[in-house]
Amino acid sequence: MAEKPVSEYRGSIHQQQKDLMLDWYQRLDHAAETGDPPTVSMMISGNCVELLEGFGAIPQYPEVNALQLAIRHQSLEPILAAEEMGYAGDNCAYVKADIGCMLKGITPTGGRLPKPTLVLCNFVGCNTYVKWFEHVSAFTGAPLFVLDVPFLRNDTPSQADIDYVVRQLKEVVGQMEELIGRKFDYDRFRQSVAYSSEVEELWSQIKHLAKNSPSPFDAYFDAITLMGPLYVYRGKREGVEFFRAALNELQQKVKAGEGVYDQERFRVVVEGPPPYPYFRTFRDMFASWKAVAVASTYSTVGGLWEFGFRHDAKNPFESVAMHMLAQNVTNRNYLQRYDQIRRYVQEWNADGVIIHFVKSCRLFSAGQGDMRDYFTKQLGVPTLYIESDLEDPRYFAEAQTKNRIDAFFESLEHAKRTAAHAVSA
Amino acid sequence: MRIAAGVDVGSTQTKAVLIGANGDGVEVLSRSLIDTGANVRKAAEKAFDECCQAAGVAQADVGFVVGTGYGRYNISFGHTQMTEISCHARGAHFLCPGTRTVIDMGGQDAKAIGVGPSGEVLDFVMNDKCAAGTGRFLANAAEVMGIGLDDIGPLSLRATRPVKIATVCTVFVESDILSYLSQGKKPEDIMGGVHLAIAKRTMSLARRVNIEPLVTMTGGVARNIGMVRALETVLGQKIIVTPDAQFMGAVGAALFSLEKLGESFESSVWREHAVSSGD
Repeated sequence: MAEKPVSEYRGSIHQQQKDLMLDWYQRLDHAAETGDPPTVSMMISGNCVELLEGFGAIPQYPEVNALQLAIRHQSLEPILAAEEMGYAGDNCAYVKADIGCMLKGITPTGGRLPKPTLVLCNFVGCNTYVKWFEHVSAFTGAPLFVLDVPFLRNDTPSQADIDYVVRQLKEVVGQMEELIGRKFDYDRFRQSVAYSSEVEELWSQIKHLAKNSPSPFDAYFDAITLMGPLYVYRGKREGVEFFRAALNELQQKVKAGEGVYDQERFRVVVEGPPPYPYFRTFRDMFASWKAVAVASTYSTVGGLWEFGFRHDAKNPFESVAMHMLAQNVTNRNYLQRYDQIRRYVQEWNADGVIIHFVKSCRLFSAGQGDMRDYFTKQLGVPTLYIESDLEDPRYFAEAQTKNRIDAFFESLEHAKRTAAHAVSA
Repeated sequence: MRIAAGVDVGSTQTKAVLIGANGDGVEVLSRSLIDTGANVRKAAEKAFDECCQAAGVAQADVGFVVGTGYGRYNISFGHTQMTEISCHARGAHFLCPGTRTVIDMGGQDAKAIGVGPSGEVLDFVMNDKCAAGTGRFLANAAEVMGIGLDDIGPLSLRATRPVKIATVCTVFVESDILSYLSQGKKPEDIMGGVHLAIAKRTMSLARRVNIEPLVTMTGGVARNIGMVRALETVLGQKIIVTPDAQFMGAVGAALFSLEKLGESFESSVWREHAVSSGD
């Protein structure tokens, strides 16, 4: 039976994350004022943030802006503004929030966002982004470059796929040299790739800490906190320092036997992004059951590192291409995603899977009904399927969502009790 | 005798059940049913009060109360809450031993629940945030036709050529019905079509859990014989309905209450309540 929500883990890394992200927004604000540093609009999925370091440029992520807005309960106004303009009800709500912000002059922090030097559509997996970034380019007047990254069709990309992406990355470099007016610093790029490799190793170790029981952090909700620095600072020294501190803090928790809650009761794997407009409410629904996510696919949208992939400073362009092609969840096929979740359930010792279907994201969510069937019927893993949206608050029904989550944990509780009786008998 | 209660505050109606346990087994002492209305807290109190009065039991003598249904957190006197999903499974397992699938159709919900051998929830699916396939859909259809809700089921059984209802939208079904009325279709054929449309939608939902016999129907819509028959037609097998189908959530909640009081009991003692709809 559900209890009242208990406070979960709040460590110093949460404050450090906040400081880092605020600093990033301040740099964007400064860029809006002075044009320095150059900025590049990119998408999170399989991002190639290392490339920007070769120009001392920083990324802008429209998705991060959109989710920040939603967490602050401010996403509906821009969504409605975009719909008034003609965007359809079932368009991606991230797109509508972002476009609405441009129409209304809204930013998540209240600070300014610069006109990007380049709108770089690093299209992996989500073809809606091509249209989104075309619109960003049209609204801001910034030039657009669309990187064509082929879907991963086999276990690994072909050499032709890798060469194809590398050629395009070099084209981007050429275009940025023209736009910024200075040469690409290859050594700095290579150094950035080396930093990324270090960050990925630290991040991977952090994720594997969730195999401990109790898990020292929530690999869904807390992972989202850590994902900001992962995408903005991955190719920087600050990123290495942040993730080293995070790993150290979490290792200390493991040594002390501390978990997210005073007593961990359930371990789950979560598929899909959270309903950001109700982020706190949603987290409390898990907290009331002391249920911790030990792994999540959403935390691998930007990159999948816990199974061994690292950027490689010896082959920087090729490893960036490999990351974009094969080492992020959105560009991989569905069977690979099944396998990823299966490994999480088995290796991270989870009690069940929770799938959050996003109404306005057909591309990422389509097929999740089959995914549910695969886990419940073929593997016998209890799996809950809930629906709302990552950005549009109108799709979230609190009572219904809570009802489903409560029923799911009630059934897991019953199963545990029955198993315990069987053992004692 | 230990006395326990379950109160199921649904979106449309609130149900309360009192059960008692002694050495001989478990027996139902009383039931009550009232409209939920706007004041959920009062509805729960009233249902519980009526239930206690009907059994001649003082409220203070009720050892434990489990609240369920959407209004479960508004039950001021409840000791704890459980979802109606667990409660319907528990109630059906107890009243209809051997139940492996529960189809629960209430005012705003339609659910299919896979039930394990000890009454545990193995899996469940629910309707999306939409009233299609629920009691509300049938109520709207009845209202448009100007027929009482209790009469639409028997009426639908007289259908000889049920119409095709394309929509399962609770709002748009009204225009579908008006269109058929203007074409001169018979009310029983329209209602037959309405029931079949809901049955098909519910079964497509239910097939996402493994439908295994026995299939027991619970919730207020189980009182509608037309709906039961339509579901049986689509499913191709008998569906078990008990006179307490509407109280199943409250019964399950009361059983959980009894467990909280430390009672252990076998499900067979209450078996006489179970009847097949096919009889």
